[in-house]
Amino acid sequence: MSAEHDPAQRVAIGISFGNSYSSIAFTTAEGKAEVIANEDGERQIPSILSYVEGEELHGGQAKSQLVRNAKNTVAYFRDFLGQEFKSIDPTPCHQSAHPVQHESTIAFKIRDTAEDKENEVTVSEITTRHLKRLRSSASNYLGKDVNAAVITVPTNFSNAQKEALNKAAKEAGIEVLQFISEPVAAVLAYDARPEAKMADKIIVVADLGGARSDVAVIASRGGIYTVLATVHDYEVTGLKLDQVLMDHFAKEFLKKHKSAGDPRENDRALAKLRLECEAVKKALSIGTSANFSVESLVGGIDFTATINRTRYDLLGNKLFAAFVRLVTHAVEKAELDPLDISEVIIAGGNANTPKVASALGAAFPESTTILAPSTSATAINPSELSVRGAAIQASLVQEFELEDIEQSTHPMVTVTPHLSHAVGVLCISGEESSGIFHPIIDAETPLPVRRIAIIATPKEGGDVLIKLAEGSRHIKVTKPEPKPKKKSEDDEDDSDEDESDEEEELREKTWKVGKVLSEAAIKGIKKGGKVEVQINIAADLGVNAIFREVGGKGGVRGIIQPPKATQNGSA
Amino acid sequence: MASVQVSLPLPVLPQGWAADRDFKPIGHLSDANDRNIEPVGPHFLAHARRKRHKRTFSEDDR
Ligand SMILES: Nc1ncnc2c1ncn2[C@@H]1O[C@H](COP(=O)(O)OP(=O)(O)OP(=O)(O)O)[C@@H](O)[C@H]1O
Ligand SMILES: [Mg+2]
Repeated sequence: MSAEHDPAQRVAIGISFGNSYSSIAFTTAEGKAEVIANEDGERQIPSILSYVEGEELHGGQAKSQLVRNAKNTVAYFRDFLGQEFKSIDPTPCHQSAHPVQHESTIAFKIRDTAEDKENEVTVSEITTRHLKRLRSSASNYLGKDVNAAVITVPTNFSNAQKEALNKAAKEAGIEVLQFISEPVAAVLAYDARPEAKMADKIIVVADLGGARSDVAVIASRGGIYTVLATVHDYEVTGLKLDQVLMDHFAKEFLKKHKSAGDPRENDRALAKLRLECEAVKKALSIGTSANFSVESLVGGIDFTATINRTRYDLLGNKLFAAFVRLVTHAVEKAELDPLDISEVIIAGGNANTPKVASALGAAFPESTTILAPSTSATAINPSELSVRGAAIQASLVQEFELEDIEQSTHPMVTVTPHLSHAVGVLCISGEESSGIFHPIIDAETPLPVRRIAIIATPKEGGDVLIKLAEGSRHIKVTKPEPKPKKKSEDDEDDSDEDESDEEEELREKTWKVGKVLSEAAIKGIKKGGKVEVQINIAADLGVNAIFREVGGKGGVRGIIQPPKATQNGSA
Repeated sequence: MASVQVSLPLPVLPQGWAADRDFKPIGHLSDANDRNIEPVGPHFLAHARRKRHKRTFSEDDR
């Protein structure tokens, strides 16, 4: 008991626990996250348990039981934790053990012992067994008894769900140090790389998993993350992409074997079809064509076929487009424009599909970096993003008392004022009369904050004016010159295409100067000199600024009082 | 954080501009939005430390 609570005795790992796959990782002494393979060499371990005559199978071994032993195989259960039966969608479980209501919770009716009898095993117990297997794989690998973990969960995982998972983990001998959200873990996985440069940016994490897809828009400011908007969807999924391939190959099969039955109408054939289609889908992430091959698909008929990537891209087109819509919707929900997005991290297993990356890439301007295996040689394996982030976080907090971690994650600490506008300086543009706003601290930066800017001065040096102001980002749209219309008979039919042509307008990010905050003068700057501005903004919005010539002595200090409290409408 | 580099020049000080100690406060910042920051990563930990011990950036630097 006590060892569990003594930070010195902790062996902590990161766990990503998905409906489809789970992963385990640890952080090396050098601070590098490494994903651990289980005894079967799997790094993406199917979140599946299966029982054969009382023997428990886990991961890939359990997954192959979906063909012969589906009723005693439990899959897609993570999202059921801490939920009531009436609020779950059992669809992903159609080809494995079905969830049933069990008192106030959910269970699976399975024969999990050598006895010939079905037991109702709760989702909590199933989770405990699954986590025990993960823990044991990690312990075997590390040669140390793992007893603590940081576990990733979706951003919409409720407190009840977290509590249920916490309890199930405890039963498995795992002290949960912290739950962190999956998209934030993905950002941390990238930021923890030694070559990562800290910058203020807006990141979209677009996660196309097995049973769900999740999008998060995250402001990253000096390494601190704020989730601005999220979107969740349970229709645009990897399972649906598998289904697209299943339909395709089932039709191909029926074309060749007219008298044989539809493999989708026979449980065992359906299971074989699904497993093979997932494998084909994965193969198409690497190769431009893949083989489908199932022995005795229906009625003893072996079936082989090939498919090329272009075909799959076409078959999945609706789903890929729908995923892109989810992502752009999330950006809108955050009241941002695609031009505001510096990076899109494509996460989840299906991020390996090149079409997912290219379809998303087309929805963002060139200034947006798309981080996926097919678009970036240095992309992290999208299936491992969550678990790597979790392992990094585990290494950061494992030495703290649980109470300390809880205190730090309390809203007292996490709820923070964020700037509503960018703060920056006014510079000179082409015509000297009008200032151009240059941001120094972006909107959505949590307070307190300190930033330094180095600013050029007129060629001759001399006395300069430094105006601090608020600025708002503005999207400037320039319509292209109307093309001279070709006069032709079928003008009407073409009108659709013309419209989409016209959408190729030029969109740019510009700034509108808002409230001016202060003016300061720096005098006698030498030729070619630069000015350094340091801005400190406190949590109460009071500003403390220091202006000086780079390399010069002294400087000007200024204080801008916080706005008067706007309580009771008396500004 | 690396400093922000601004290559556009600052304007020349207008004739007759004057202020006590060369600084003139003019307006106040607009109200902030309260949002939840994610308790994740090394920079959050530094933030939490500052907040819990009521320390400033420069105190933290020491
Ligand atoms: N190399 C690959 N190429 C294409 N798809 C893949 C690849 N690897 C895994 N997938 C797909 O990714 C999905 C699983 O993704 P992931 O492991 O992120 O899901 P999860 O988080 O466990 O599940 P969920 O998001 O449903 O909770 C499955 O649909 C799987 O077929
Ligand atoms: Mg997932």
